Amino acid sequence: MSEVDQLKTGRVGSVKIIGRKLLQSEFFVLYLTIFYLLVLFPFIPRVFSPYNLKNVLSNTWPLLVIAIGQTFFLITAGIDLSQTSIMALSSIMGAIIMTSEVDPTLFSKSPVWGILLSVKGGLFSGSPLALPVGLLVMLVIGVLIGLMNGFSVARLRMPPFIVTLVSQMLFSAVAIWLSKSENIRHLPESFSQLGRGGIGPIAYSLIVAVIIAVAAHLLMSKTLYGRRLYATGINPRAARISGVPTAKIIIAAYAISGFCAAVGSILYSARLEQGRPTLGSTLLLDIIGANVIGGVSLAGGKGKVLWTVFGVIFFIFLSNTLNLLNLKFFYIDIVKGLVILLAAILDVTRSRVVLRYSGGRA
Amino acid sequence: MKKILIFAILAAFIVPVVFANGGSDGGSDEITIAFCFQDLETEFWVAGHSAITETLAAKGIKVIEKNANEDANRQLEQVKDSITQGVDGVIIIPQDGESAVTIAKECNEAGVPIGVFNRPPADKSADALVVVANNEAIAEQAVEYIAQEAMKLNRKVTPAIMVGDLGDPNAVGRRKGFYNVIEKYPDLWTGDPIEIPTKWDSNTALANLQSAMQANPDIDFLFTSSDFLYPVIKSVLAPLGKWQKIGDPDHILLAGLDGDKTACSLQKDGYVDATGVQDVFAEAQMLLDAMLAAIDSGEGTPNEWLYDDGFALTQGNMADREMDMWGCKLLAAE
Repeated sequence: MSEVDQLKTGRVGSVKIIGRKLLQSEFFVLYLTIFYLLVLFPFIPRVFSPYNLKNVLSNTWPLLVIAIGQTFFLITAGIDLSQTSIMALSSIMGAIIMTSEVDPTLFSKSPVWGILLSVKGGLFSGSPLALPVGLLVMLVIGVLIGLMNGFSVARLRMPPFIVTLVSQMLFSAVAIWLSKSENIRHLPESFSQLGRGGIGPIAYSLIVAVIIAVAAHLLMSKTLYGRRLYATGINPRAARISGVPTAKIIIAAYAISGFCAAVGSILYSARLEQGRPTLGSTLLLDIIGANVIGGVSLAGGKGKVLWTVFGVIFFIFLSNTLNLLNLKFFYIDIVKGLVILLAAILDVTRSRVVLRYSGGRA
Repeated sequence: MKKILIFAILAAFIVPVVFANGGSDGGSDEITIAFCFQDLETEFWVAGHSAITETLAAKGIKVIEKNANEDANRQLEQVKDSITQGVDGVIIIPQDGESAVTIAKECNEAGVPIGVFNRPPADKSADALVVVANNEAIAEQAVEYIAQEAMKLNRKVTPAIMVGDLGDPNAVGRRKGFYNVIEKYPDLWTGDPIEIPTKWDSNTALANLQSAMQANPDIDFLFTSSDFLYPVIKSVLAPLGKWQKIGDPDHILLAGLDGDKTACSLQKDGYVDATGVQDVFAEAQMLLDAMLAAIDSGEGTPNEWLYDDGFALTQGNMADREMDMWGCKLLAAE
């Protein structure tokens, strides 16, 4: 082999090594996001304007919280389709508690009219307790639905897909039934501030999302529960034989997923300043898509909070830039769908690369 | 496999740029308006969309279109993205009156004029240019004609109303106009009107109308809060033998509101007795004139409610006023 050939081979080898390292890197999606933004920057310089960055971040935090809940679930090799209905029901129940005024024309046929709702609003209308009680009710609803789903899957051995699909239908319908499909407004200003306000430049939603992300990260990486969660996702039978209480692990994952959906509901309801029975009804693709883009495996046993963070950031920037490019709405959905498909293909490829270069230890 | 993957990644980045209209980054004298609509599921919204985009294009104004697919949160994000792009104004067809308030406040904070087309905010806490039909008065005119026709029957009539989404002030106004006439002639009706919820959704309307007709087969006056429901009404009434022309003993008195092509065609064919008409073209023009005036004067938070008084096209005035209904104009142009 001549010197030139050796040099060429060496260069190709270096590129291959860099490519392999990139694919194996935990920060792959972050690099991809940076690359994507740099490619688009000449076309849309405003992507880095302070107003746009503020927008992107305010869109990121609620989705991140819900996506983290889904990550727990995906690691157990399940998929939680009920998160959107948890959001809707939490949103409506919280609003019923907190609202200070409702129109009887719209709500007098609600089953809670005269019990939880009246012309003067909800049970805690105007009370300083409205906010804490409202938030508590929203969170409890999320956890309870999660526990119910978890019990159905882990104890009654029902397929997660069916359980969460039925939950999605059931609780969305309950939200519509309770509110007669109407939005509930006149929520306390302190509640709306959760979606719009902050401490100085730091938004409340950012604080909430960071707390949840850090807690979830610690739970997954530093605790016995985390190790058991991965073990259950990789091979539930082997985990059970090894003494892992898989049923409890799965039930807890569902409860966490429900809790995160309820927190997301709080943030979205606050920014919209209303309880909506259809809240989140179109969000499922974004939640799962962000996880898949981040590298969380749909086959279970693989995923990290950090990956979900990167996935959500990429997904939000993707939506944002497609809007800024003035694409027709159908192109936006086509591109989003293709990117998620690509991410799924990439996930398979990365797994193969990792498998090949780690001597079979994936 | 790797080559395909690399190609796919590059394509994912390049495709959006190729199909992009180019982001508006200000700096030019060209006026840019973002038109954010919740969806275009009825003839009225399609006609409104065409009227707005075509009028703006004719004036040399750049229009950025965003479809929220009936998601209020997505519409809020799209409006924020539009503000980022430095648009000179935002026109929305909101998902509902409540989300219109939130979105208008966002535009107020950014100092960007916002126009709300035909679906007014739930309250006036935010500044906006709002064009809205006087739904109550228009519905009242159409139902008044039906009441006069009912009197000629020399018997009591059983009324029913297909109610829209009551979170939408348009639906509330139309229902109110209907009831104004019902209460005006208490002896004309067999009892209280039967309310059929539709939520502005064809499937919901179909299921509820079928149930209502089974429970109350004597319904002989039906008011639909929107013309887009006529295909649903026909599909329910025809199998019952009640989809009949005026003059037939089984004819159900029919009235609606919007003034679309379907209503015009059905009224000309003698199935529909009266239609409350909101003038979509005039409404679009009113809103655009007000918006452009605000942009010209540099006003960031203009606040004005503009009303379309509308009228009722009936079998009685059809010969004189047919071409005043936007749906008839579109039908004639086909």
